[in-house]
Amino acid sequence: MNRIVLLSVVTVAAACGGGDSGPRRTVSNEPFCQQVMPAVDAYMAEARAAHPTPDDPRYGGTVVVGGIGELADGMNAAVSSDYQATQHQQFVNLMTLIDYDENGEPRPYLAESWEVADDNTSITFHLRTDVTWHDGEPTDARDVAFTFETVTDPVTAFPNAAFWDHYVKGPDGVEVIDDYTVRIHMQPHAEFLDPFRSVGIMPEHLLADVPREELKQHPFGTQCPVGNGPFVFFSHDAQDRWVFEANPGFPQALGGRPFLDRYVYRIIPEQTTLLTELLTQNVDVYIAPPPDQAQRIIDDPNTELLRYPFRNYVFVGWNARRPQLSDPRVRLALTMGTDRQSIVDAILQGYGTVANSGVPPFHWAFNEELAGGIAYDPDGARALLEEAGWVDRDGDGVRENADGVDLAISVKYNNGNQQRQDIAEIMQAQLADIGVALQPQVVEWATLLQQINTPDLRDFDGVVMGWVVEFKLDDMDLFHSDRIDQPYAWSGTDNPDIDRLLEALSATVDRDEAMDLWAEYQQVIMDEQPYTYFYFPDRLDGVSHRVKNVEMDARGEWLNIREWYIDPESR
Amino acid sequence: MTTYVLRRLAGAVPLILGIATIIFFLVNLAPGDPTLLLIAPGVTDEVVQQMRENFGLDQPVHIRYVRWMAAMLTGDFGYSFSHSRPVIDVIADFLPNTLLLTVCALAIAFVFGIVLGTIQAVRQYSAMDSVLSVVLLFFYSMPSFWLALMLILTLSLSARNLWEWPIWFPASGMNSVDYDYLSLAGRIMDRARHLVLPTLSLSLVLTAGIARYMRGSMLEVIRQDFVRTAQAKGLPERVVVFKHALRNALIPIITLVGLYIPVLFSGTVFIELIFAWPGMGRTLVDAIFTRDYPLVMAGTFFFACMVVAANLVADVLYAVVDPRIRYD
Repeated sequence: MNRIVLLSVVTVAAACGGGDSGPRRTVSNEPFCQQVMPAVDAYMAEARAAHPTPDDPRYGGTVVVGGIGELADGMNAAVSSDYQATQHQQFVNLMTLIDYDENGEPRPYLAESWEVADDNTSITFHLRTDVTWHDGEPTDARDVAFTFETVTDPVTAFPNAAFWDHYVKGPDGVEVIDDYTVRIHMQPHAEFLDPFRSVGIMPEHLLADVPREELKQHPFGTQCPVGNGPFVFFSHDAQDRWVFEANPGFPQALGGRPFLDRYVYRIIPEQTTLLTELLTQNVDVYIAPPPDQAQRIIDDPNTELLRYPFRNYVFVGWNARRPQLSDPRVRLALTMGTDRQSIVDAILQGYGTVANSGVPPFHWAFNEELAGGIAYDPDGARALLEEAGWVDRDGDGVRENADGVDLAISVKYNNGNQQRQDIAEIMQAQLADIGVALQPQVVEWATLLQQINTPDLRDFDGVVMGWVVEFKLDDMDLFHSDRIDQPYAWSGTDNPDIDRLLEALSATVDRDEAMDLWAEYQQVIMDEQPYTYFYFPDRLDGVSHRVKNVEMDARGEWLNIREWYIDPESR
Repeated sequence: MTTYVLRRLAGAVPLILGIATIIFFLVNLAPGDPTLLLIAPGVTDEVVQQMRENFGLDQPVHIRYVRWMAAMLTGDFGYSFSHSRPVIDVIADFLPNTLLLTVCALAIAFVFGIVLGTIQAVRQYSAMDSVLSVVLLFFYSMPSFWLALMLILTLSLSARNLWEWPIWFPASGMNSVDYDYLSLAGRIMDRARHLVLPTLSLSLVLTAGIARYMRGSMLEVIRQDFVRTAQAKGLPERVVVFKHALRNALIPIITLVGLYIPVLFSGTVFIELIFAWPGMGRTLVDAIFTRDYPLVMAGTFFFACMVVAANLVADVLYAVVDPRIRYD
C-alpha cells in the first residue's frame, strides 16, 4: 500500500514537473507560429548583444499585472475592441502612430511628425526610421497603409468602424509617398487624430496574404503576435497568463529598452482571489477592483489605490418605440424620480460622479454650467407625469393613462453584474413612490444582446448598460435617426435637433467653435432624455509599492509601462 | 466477466451518442448564436452573414447535426470560434489540468475518508468519534466555493499577512510566475503548493461524505460473525481491522467512485474560477456564454465519456473486490 502511494505521488509529480531547466514555453503548432517565433528569438538574441543593458539599478525585474478578463483577440488590432486588449496593443506590444500627453494633446510616437493639409482633407505622417518589428523587419509606411486598408474594409469586421466614418476608406484613402511617409485622406471632421492614437499598426509582411475575413481567427492575435513596441511577446497560456519580455532594440530616442525585464499579465476571474494575490504580493498591479475593496487596498501598508476619472458610464436606455416611453416628459420624470447621487454613494461608495450626458466631466467638451444637471425632484416628476396624462385613477399606487394602461416598465440587466442589479432594484423602489411600476428583469448576457441589438426585435423597455467612450466623442451610432435601425440605436431617438447637432459636431474641426455646439448638444440631450444617465465611475487600480513610476489616467492603465521599474531594494 | 464488460461497453456507445445528440439540440436551440457577440454598428449584415456561413450556421439544424455527428465519428471535433484553434487543441490544453485537480481531490478524499471512517467505526462512541462527527458534518454542509474563499482568506491571506506563518499557500494559478526558472525539485514543490488549496476545497466536502459511508459500512461489518471469530482466534486488532473487516467494508465505497465523478466535475467549475485554474470546467462555461458550439459539444461529450467510463470501472471493481458477485 505504501509503495503504491509513493509510486503514484512520484509519477504525478514527475508528470507535472518534468523537463529541462531554463524558461521553456510551448510554441503553438500552427504553421504560422512555427515560422515566426524562431525569427523573433533570433532578433532577440541579436538585439541583446547589440544593446547591452545599461548600468542602472532600475533595470531588471518582473512585474505581474492581474485582471479578471482574458485579452479577447489578443494583439490583433484589426478585429479587437476589448479595452484591455487594446491597451496592450497601444502600449505594450504594438505601437500607435501617436499618443496623448497628460493634457490630451497628441504627441509623436511611431510617427515622428505630421502635417495636416490646410483644407483638412489629408494628414501626412512621417514615420520614425529606427523602429523594427520583433522579427527583424523594419516598420515602414507599407505597414501603416496595410493597417488602414484592413480596418476600413467592411469584410474585416473591425468593431469600431465608426472611427472611419469621415475617412476615405480602403486603398484610395491611403497613399504611400515613400518608405517612411504616408498620407491619409479624409473629409474635414472633428478629432481626426484620435483613431491613430487608438489603433495599433500591424505588420504587413506577415499578414498581407491572409484573407481579410479570416483575420479574426488567425493565430497572430493570441498565439504568436509580432509587434514593434517596447515589449516582445514570449508566451500565452490561454485563460492563464501572457508573458512579455523587454525589447532591447526599442528606439533609444524613445527611451530604449523598458526598465522591466519581464511583464506578465495574469487572468484571475474571481475578484476576492485577485485582491488576495495583491495583498500577498503575488500580483503587483490589480486592474479595476470594485469600490468595496478600495479601503482594503488603501489600508494595506504595501499597496496604494490609484483613482482617476475615466471614460465609461452607466445608464438606463429607454426604448422610445414603446408607447409608455415615447413621451420625453415621462422619461424626464423617470430621471427626476431617481436619486442618482445616493446611488453613486451607495453602489460606488462615492467613487464616481453623477452623469447627465455622455460627456465625461474631465473632457474639454464638458459644459460646466450643466454640471448640476437634473436634480432629484420627486414632486416635479409627479407633476410631469400628470401633465403627460398619467394619473392614478384607480388608487392602486400605479398611474394609468386615459385608456387605463398601467405605467408598467420593465428594466433588463445582465446577470453577474451586481452594480447593474442594484441600480435596477433601487430605481424600482424610488419610482414606486411616484407611481411607476418598474420591474427589473435579469437576462443572460448573450441573450440580452440579441434582444436589444436586433433591429426588428428590440425586446425591452429599459436596459441597464455601460458604454466606454474614446477621446473623440461620437454619439452618432446611439442617437442619429439615420442609424435608427443599427444595433446600438437602443433609444430609437428621432429628433431633428439632435441630428443637426451630431452632424455639426462631427464636421467641426476647431475645438473652440465646437464648444458652443457641445453645450447646446448636452442641453438638448437633457431635454430629450433618451437615457437616464447614471454615473461615470472613477477608475480604481491597486498598485504595490514595489513598482515605481506608475502613472495612470484616462488614457489607460498601461500608458507608461515602459517607464515602470521595480524598487531595487525590494527585488 | 469479459462478456459482461464487453456488453457494458457496447451499451455505452448508444448511451454516449444519445447524450451527444441531446447536448447538440440543447445548445443549438438556445437563443443567440456566436455572431451576436461580434455585432457592432460598423459590421454590416453581409459580414455577419458571411461569418455565419464560415461557422456553418446558415444550414438548418438537422443538417448541422448530421454533419457534426459524421465529423465527430471520424475524430474531427471542429474549430473553436472563441479560441481560434481546433477544438482538440483546446481540450488537450485544458483537460489535463482539470484531471489533475480531480484525481488529486478524489485520491485525498478517498484516503482520508476511509481512514477517518474506519477510526470512527472502530472507536465508536468515544470522544474521538463525536468530535470527528461534528467536524465532518461541518465540512459536509459547506458549499465548496464558499469553502474555497475561506481557505484563501485564512491559509493564503491571513497566514501570510496577519499571523505570519512560515507556510502559506498561493491564492491562485497552477504555477508561479517564476516557474520556468526553477529547478525540477523547485517545480514539483511549486506545483504541489499551488495544488493544496484547490484540492482541499474540492476534497474536504467529499471526505466528509465518504467518511460517513465508511463508518456505517464498517460498523455493519464489525458486527458480523467472522470478525468475532477472528477476534476469538486471538488475532491482533490491526490484522482483524485492516486485513479482514476493511476489505469487506470497502465494497459499497467503490460504488461511490462512480457517483462522485460527475459531482466532482461540476464542482470543479467553481473551484477553477475562484483559483484561476486553467481547466476544462471554466472553459466550458465560457464557451456556453459565447455560444461556441463546437467547444461546448466536444467538451460535454468528453465529460459524458468519462462519467460513463468511471461507472463502468466502478462496476467492474465491485465484481473484482467481491467474489460473491457474478456477472453473466
